Amino acid sequence: MRTRRLRSFFVRAGSLFSRRARDRELAEELESHIQMHTDENVRAGMSPREARRQALVALGGVAQTEEECRRQSGLPAVEGLWRNLRHSVRLLSKKPGFAATAVVTLALGIGATAAIYSVVYATLFEPMPYPKPEQLVMVWSKGNGRRSSVSAGDFLEWKRRAASFQYLEAWTGGGTFNVATEDRPEQVQAALMTPGFFRMTGAPMFLGRDFLPDEGVPGRDHVVVMTHRLWSLYFGADRGIVGRLIRMNGEPYTVVGVTPPGMRDRQQSQLMLPLAFKPEQITHDSRGLLVMGRLKDGVTPRQADAEMQSVTRQLAEEFPQTNVNWAAGVEPLQNDFIPDATIKNLWLLLGAVGFLLLIGCVNVANLLLARGTTRRREVAIRAALGATRGQLFAQFITESLVLALAGGALGVLLGWMIVQGILAILPFQMLPSEADVRLSVPVLIFTLAATIVAGLLFGCAPAWQASRLDLNEVLKQGGRAGGGGGRLRRALVVAEFALALTLLAGGGLALRSFWNLTRLDLGVRTDHVLTFYLPVPQSRFKEPERASPYYRQLLEKIGAVPGVETATVTTGLPLRGAGQVRPFRVVGAPPPAPGARQLAGFQYVTPGYFDTFGIRVVRGRHFTEQDGDAGARVAMVNETFARRYLAADDPLAQRIAVSQPAPPGSQGNAQGSAQNGAQGGERSGSESEWQIVGVFHDTRGGIGLRDDETPVVYLPFWQSPQPRASVAVRTAGEPESVTRDLAAAVSAVDPDLPLAGVKTMDQILGETLAFDRFGVVLYGSFAALALLLAAVGIYGVMAFAVAERAHEFGVRVALGAAGGQLLRLVLGEGVRLAVFGLLLGLGGAYLVGRVMRSNLYGVSALDARAFGGVAFVLLAAALLACYFPARRAARADPMVALREE
Amino acid sequence: MGDKTDIWQGTLALMILKTLEAMGALHGYGVARRIEQTSGGLLSVNYGTIYPALIKLEQEGYISSEWGMSDNNRRAKYYRLTRAGRRQLAEEAREWEKTTAILARFFAPAKES
Repeated sequence: MRTRRLRSFFVRAGSLFSRRARDRELAEELESHIQMHTDENVRAGMSPREARRQALVALGGVAQTEEECRRQSGLPAVEGLWRNLRHSVRLLSKKPGFAATAVVTLALGIGATAAIYSVVYATLFEPMPYPKPEQLVMVWSKGNGRRSSVSAGDFLEWKRRAASFQYLEAWTGGGTFNVATEDRPEQVQAALMTPGFFRMTGAPMFLGRDFLPDEGVPGRDHVVVMTHRLWSLYFGADRGIVGRLIRMNGEPYTVVGVTPPGMRDRQQSQLMLPLAFKPEQITHDSRGLLVMGRLKDGVTPRQADAEMQSVTRQLAEEFPQTNVNWAAGVEPLQNDFIPDATIKNLWLLLGAVGFLLLIGCVNVANLLLARGTTRRREVAIRAALGATRGQLFAQFITESLVLALAGGALGVLLGWMIVQGILAILPFQMLPSEADVRLSVPVLIFTLAATIVAGLLFGCAPAWQASRLDLNEVLKQGGRAGGGGGRLRRALVVAEFALALTLLAGGGLALRSFWNLTRLDLGVRTDHVLTFYLPVPQSRFKEPERASPYYRQLLEKIGAVPGVETATVTTGLPLRGAGQVRPFRVVGAPPPAPGARQLAGFQYVTPGYFDTFGIRVVRGRHFTEQDGDAGARVAMVNETFARRYLAADDPLAQRIAVSQPAPPGSQGNAQGSAQNGAQGGERSGSESEWQIVGVFHDTRGGIGLRDDETPVVYLPFWQSPQPRASVAVRTAGEPESVTRDLAAAVSAVDPDLPLAGVKTMDQILGETLAFDRFGVVLYGSFAALALLLAAVGIYGVMAFAVAERAHEFGVRVALGAAGGQLLRLVLGEGVRLAVFGLLLGLGGAYLVGRVMRSNLYGVSALDARAFGGVAFVLLAAALLACYFPARRAARADPMVALREE
Repeated sequence: MGDKTDIWQGTLALMILKTLEAMGALHGYGVARRIEQTSGGLLSVNYGTIYPALIKLEQEGYISSEWGMSDNNRRAKYYRLTRAGRRQLAEEAREWEKTTAILARFFAPAKES
């Protein structure tokens, strides 16, 4: 029976395409029926006329039979839809202005939604581009519940003891390499990874192979894998590259593989080297590795986590000095590297574009309602001819869907452009490198769904309005527009302003927060400063002391460059944070509780640092050339340090004790070390003491300048010279103008060295604020769009209301109303709607503020200035939008109105 | 026509199938007339209702159609039973007999009680 029904359905669906032929055949069949019946009637003695009449009566009417047959042979619902579609397209194409306005309004909302959703989807939902991605986990060390990177010793013990993992591999930043390419040396960031890393992820190589197990051994580790991007950029996409030797930092490395295009190309590290542990690096308290694992089949992250707890408990017993209070945590890799703030920001942005789409829907609903009132006559006639309410409703909904789909199509195009724009301003590494932001199929499906929902949303009101029309009333009025729907339209305007205020409030808060950030006391002057660093090979200085004369000579040459006022050599840059985090103790103070070590950022600077960056010394003095090898060991601390650790006494009377700096190379370079996460602690060597001689004003650093509570210690570079350092110069003129002369000065000292990472401090400041700027640009543009749409919306409604009431205004003028009175009347009505909407929107704005609070800086969730500002802007827009219809009302001509009567 | 019995919904299809089984190939007009005659004039077929039923049966594959010439040289569309139609007819006839048998028990004078 079921198969019969199915067969019947297919036959009926198939016949949709041959409707004409079908109808013709049916007509012919019925005609032959009537003929035969007529013949028989004639034979029975009727006159031919009467015979045919009787035949028709017996049939029950040709038209009725045909209609019945048509209903049976096709699919009436589909045919009705098709008819409605054609009708809609015809109607819309008759009013291109109306259709264009509606389609563009929708396209803006749908395009923005599609674009933001493509970011959200790629970041949060899309499966990572690895086989069985759910098996990949990050394993973190956890000290006091906070996750930290992992020591080599711990990692190797974990690998030996834990049974939950198919693979457990580690990687870390490998610093920057000076790579000899065909044209010139290039600076490339590298990552070091244990040899099984690629096999663990399961992503195949594009060319060549991944690392062999024995390449993770010192001495055999001079092999390299490069990304597809690096290969195309610097090696001419030469397929013969595998097996070739390239020179990196002057040493030969064999290229063994190239990764496929995509995910790795979006990483900072474009070179991958095997991570080989030297025996002295295998410790338990130098935590600098990131550890990823692939779980065995059937093992859940929770089970692995439980196993790791017991492993770390064993380790804490066996290595009490370093591992007490250290646990581990197993977390799914997906989304593990996205800060909560970023996730929240993504949802907020999606919410913002959702609101934009809603505002667009309200606008289109309003347009349709206004148009609906002028179409009352058409609707009434259809109803009079027998169209049911359901049919009228279906027709209006179809029209709305046609509009929505046109808007959706344009919106996808627009969304594609917005995605390109977002990718262009997306701050580097804001999203995980696995996130491939594009209009993928799931995004398109989401967009289609959003489009249809939008169509139903804005289509319902006008369809409902049309289907419950009082037929007699309309026909009596002769179809003149009037009454009806006005209240609904006003309610929609109120909703629109409420939505717009909510959206704009978010934008206003983001803007205020950004404004606060840009006006922060950074503690440094960023203007007229140029910075760069020198990728000195690790093998350059066998003894650290040899670095001192090298950098002295360099500073001398650089200082002589015309236009350079002051210059400094430093291991860290302001805004980027001090290069190293080290434990210390204040001499004479009670020792801190075990496990609660005091940590501070340590930075080595030459005396010129303070003038170059304009750092204020608030107590004591800054370093001088006398604080050299021969002089007493001195230190400077920032205000946070003094407040936190030296509050009891005069800071300048204190000394701090620091263990010997780590051997060269174990810390990464000045630029790269911050990304390796917490680098707490090194092996305790011999301690040395440093007399505090000065306290300097805090300089900002941390994420987006927000973290201002880091204790920092400066030590004189000349007293503990470091092999790798940055150089900064303060210039008289444009900082970039001295770049060429600086390069010449450097090459006079060391012809092999390029300048790396040449940036002005203003650029660095810009990068630091990139996350916030990204948010402000997006929120700002969406808020501006919302403002525009809200203004257009209220304009539409007021203009229509004025046109509708032209007659009334004419009568008022005739009765002596002044133009000014009418102007005020219309303006007052528009403003009343806007104010009502704004009041409602305050609630939404407050909620948005609450959600955004953690991403804001120096702005409360109910910031009066931000809310007041956007409310004022919205109100001004409403006034402006109402002014034009109001002026038209004021100029109402009584004669026109009376003539119509 | 009001005094004649209306055809029950659903039994029309069965009558059409039965008619075609008895008559072989037949056009719509012939089917309608035949049903009217068979019922002895008790049934009135509004002839037009035959056609949607024919279309439905053809969609379900119980009958097939082709154009041909009638006895007095009129072009007409002829319907005939398919194999599936025969099977369906047999089945429905059985069903029908069962139903009427059950109903007959209700209306027959009580024997057991």
